[in-house]
Amino acid sequence: MSIFSRLRSIQTNMVLAFVILILMTILIMSITSYYLTKDAVTSKAQAYTTELVKQVNYNIKDYVNGMKTMSDLVAGNHTVQQYLSPTGFNSLQEEQQAKIAVSDMLESMLVSRTDIASVNVFGYGGQFVSGRKNLELNPYVDITSMNWYTLAQEAGGKSVISPSHVQPVFKDRYPWVVSLSRELISRDGESKLGVFLVDLNFSVMNDMVKEIRLGQRGYLFIVDSSGKIVYHPQQQLIYSNLKSEMIDKVLEIKNGTFTSDEGNDSRMYTVQESDFGWKIVGVSYVNELVDNQNEVRLSFFILGFICIVIAIIISFFLSQRVSQPIKQLQDYMKEVEKGNFDIHVPVSKTVEIGRLARAFNIMVGKIKELMSQVVLDQEQKRKSEINALQAQINPHFLYNTLDSIVWMAESNKSKEVVLMTSALAKLFRASIGKGEELVAIRTEIEHITNYLMIQKMRYKNKLDYEIEISDTVLDYKTIKIILQPIVENAIYHGIKMKHGPGLIRITAEETESDIYLIVEDNGNGMDEEKLRTLLLSSPKTEEGRGVGVRNVHERLKLYFGPQFGLTYKSTLGVGTTVYIQFPKSLQSLEDSE
Amino acid sequence: MMPWKHKWLVRVVAVLLIVVVGLIYWYDGFAKRKPMDVTVIIKSADASIEFWQVLVDGVNEAAKEFDTRVQVWGARDETDVEGQIALVEKAIKERPDAIVLAATDFDRLVPVANNVVSKGIKLIIVDSGINSNVARSIVSTDNFNAGKEAGRAMLGEIKGPAKIGIISYVKNAASHIDREKGVREVLSNRPGIELLDTYFVEGSEQKAYLKAKEILQEHSDVLGIIGLNEPTSVGAGRAIRELGIGERVKLIGFDSSVNEIKLLDEGVMKATVIQRPFQMGYLSIKTAVEVIKGKKVPKLIDTGSLIITKQNMYEEENQKLLFPFVGS
Repeated sequence: MSIFSRLRSIQTNMVLAFVILILMTILIMSITSYYLTKDAVTSKAQAYTTELVKQVNYNIKDYVNGMKTMSDLVAGNHTVQQYLSPTGFNSLQEEQQAKIAVSDMLESMLVSRTDIASVNVFGYGGQFVSGRKNLELNPYVDITSMNWYTLAQEAGGKSVISPSHVQPVFKDRYPWVVSLSRELISRDGESKLGVFLVDLNFSVMNDMVKEIRLGQRGYLFIVDSSGKIVYHPQQQLIYSNLKSEMIDKVLEIKNGTFTSDEGNDSRMYTVQESDFGWKIVGVSYVNELVDNQNEVRLSFFILGFICIVIAIIISFFLSQRVSQPIKQLQDYMKEVEKGNFDIHVPVSKTVEIGRLARAFNIMVGKIKELMSQVVLDQEQKRKSEINALQAQINPHFLYNTLDSIVWMAESNKSKEVVLMTSALAKLFRASIGKGEELVAIRTEIEHITNYLMIQKMRYKNKLDYEIEISDTVLDYKTIKIILQPIVENAIYHGIKMKHGPGLIRITAEETESDIYLIVEDNGNGMDEEKLRTLLLSSPKTEEGRGVGVRNVHERLKLYFGPQFGLTYKSTLGVGTTVYIQFPKSLQSLEDSE
Repeated sequence: MMPWKHKWLVRVVAVLLIVVVGLIYWYDGFAKRKPMDVTVIIKSADASIEFWQVLVDGVNEAAKEFDTRVQVWGARDETDVEGQIALVEKAIKERPDAIVLAATDFDRLVPVANNVVSKGIKLIIVDSGINSNVARSIVSTDNFNAGKEAGRAMLGEIKGPAKIGIISYVKNAASHIDREKGVREVLSNRPGIELLDTYFVEGSEQKAYLKAKEILQEHSDVLGIIGLNEPTSVGAGRAIRELGIGERVKLIGFDSSVNEIKLLDEGVMKATVIQRPFQMGYLSIKTAVEVIKGKKVPKLIDTGSLIITKQNMYEEENQKLLFPFVGS
């Protein structure tokens, strides 16, 4: 079977349809659930990031609040106020004492605070006191040019938080810090005394934030209210434009989430604003969030595969259920094609196929009926042919007998004429009979006896006959008027041609199944050629000669079958023997009728 | 009829099975693809040189971002050419996907670099190149340009006739050769400016210090010294500070370190040309990853250089470069 014809089969079509259906279902399901999981995972990640960012925000707030508390303490501190007050001290010693007091106060704030780099007071009178006593000012740096210094002055007594920066004001130190600075104002608010500075080690913040990884590549960054980066793990890359961060958009929203549109590298920003103006931003890569998409997809693959296998198996059996009865039907049809009408297709359970089978059965029945009708018609036709053959005999015989009667009447042999005519009448009665085809051999013998009597009267001493039939065969059936044409033939072509008297002898033999009626004559006999053509039916055969014999031969064949009929044996100048063979079995036929 | 149908079913199922197994394998291959291996061989494993530490920071940052397994090896110091060649050979044996090399010697690393490439390992040059173009890409400062900037900075500082000396760290490193060329391009053939010989100090800050002292004492009129890298700049700075002639002698340096910043703060060093080692490290890995993935990369990636003076050293953008937050 070629692939194309295979594609046209119901079974393949069904399997294909199933597979496509399942594939489509799986595809739609996977896509839907893929996006559903993606959404679920994204919102979960969002919640997680928000929580994390909040936590970081709290921690940073803690630090900043700590610094603020320090600034509050220092700003309101009497000792500091006094030390910085422009009224001055009476002696250098007194000033020194005040400085030590301030220094001690600042130092006490730093006890066990490694996160704080330094706490310092810068007086406008050039005073400098640090909580870390080992710190010296960097002589090359102008403090007043520092951002934290100028911003504090501008803020007028309020705390100012700087972004992360390098603090260069101390000698030999360049630490990264976050500074909180605040201008110190006298209690009466009249005079400005100096600037307070507390530096938070940026490493504290850095350590806190850098370990936070949102997924494989996600991270956290902090910007201040002006968009300056306080902390970013890839700050260097941002300054050199190798990376960009959507800071404008971050500044736009207070709290919340947005996603950048960068295709595969899309980032989700989660923004939290802290009280002091910083924004803590969690950044996660969207495609990482749905990292388990591989597993999801894999499971869909496996599931899909199992479904397809099941679908193929189911569709295979299902389609077989459909196509199998059709194939069966087809096989039965082939039987019918071969001529076997005696079949009955079992009716399938499937409604459509059942209907088809039923219709087929009805059709075969109809055909069978029609066929037997044809056979019957044929038989009818054959019977009518036989009748016609019988009718063919009669004129010959009548012709010959009337010939004899005319001949006897001419000779004034009225007695013989009466005898002969009455024999003829018997003959006709017998032959016309009741119209039945079969007669007992006894009847046939009576008939031939009548016939031979007529012929004997015609030929006198020229013809003699003997009939010896055993009683055992007399009751078997035969078709009527089979002996007469043969005897007629023996007389006209055998004995009549011969010089001297002729003898016709009729006997019977029986075998297991058949009966042989034998007609012998000692007439002229026939040559080989005549013998061969005698029984051949040919329109060329001359009229009158052998016609009756052939009729008998054909009738026997038609009626009993092709193996029956006549057999001739003849020797030229010695005589001819004819064997009439037909089956025995017909005896019971009359009984059953 | 039946047997072929069963065969057909079996065949279809078998084909499906193969397809699915193939898909799973293909998918798995993608899901669990092994991270790329990159070996970075820098000039010096000496932890005190901030330049390399920052570069390694950049390498690590990129490694995280691009999911790459990175090993960083360094020669004992920048003069240890044999040691570096041995490291490259060791790296070849481990067959990483790519090797990122900062060559200590312009010529002597060429054979081993050829060997790297002939083994099918991708070679990326960072910072300092070799006298061969087998590398897929060179990620570095345009040192010739940086040298020119240093020269121009020097021109801005000196007034009147001057003698200018150049102190080079090692003899045959590509970066130093190019910087020197840049400096000479700008300063040669200027009226009143006499360029002295280039002094080599065999990879030692101490020797640079001694050499600078020697020059300054020898030429009492020497007005400018250019140190071609951090140790030479610091060494020269120390000499100038010690001699107390910071006002008279103008020092232009390269790179940055706490010591250099102090020199800048003090005014001993007038300017320093800084590179972007973080970018170098980051971009070398990024480029290596792109090469491994078969993407086309530019033959030369210039990470740029920057002149830092006392005036701009505390600007926000420069802080991160000058005061690398080591370990971040």
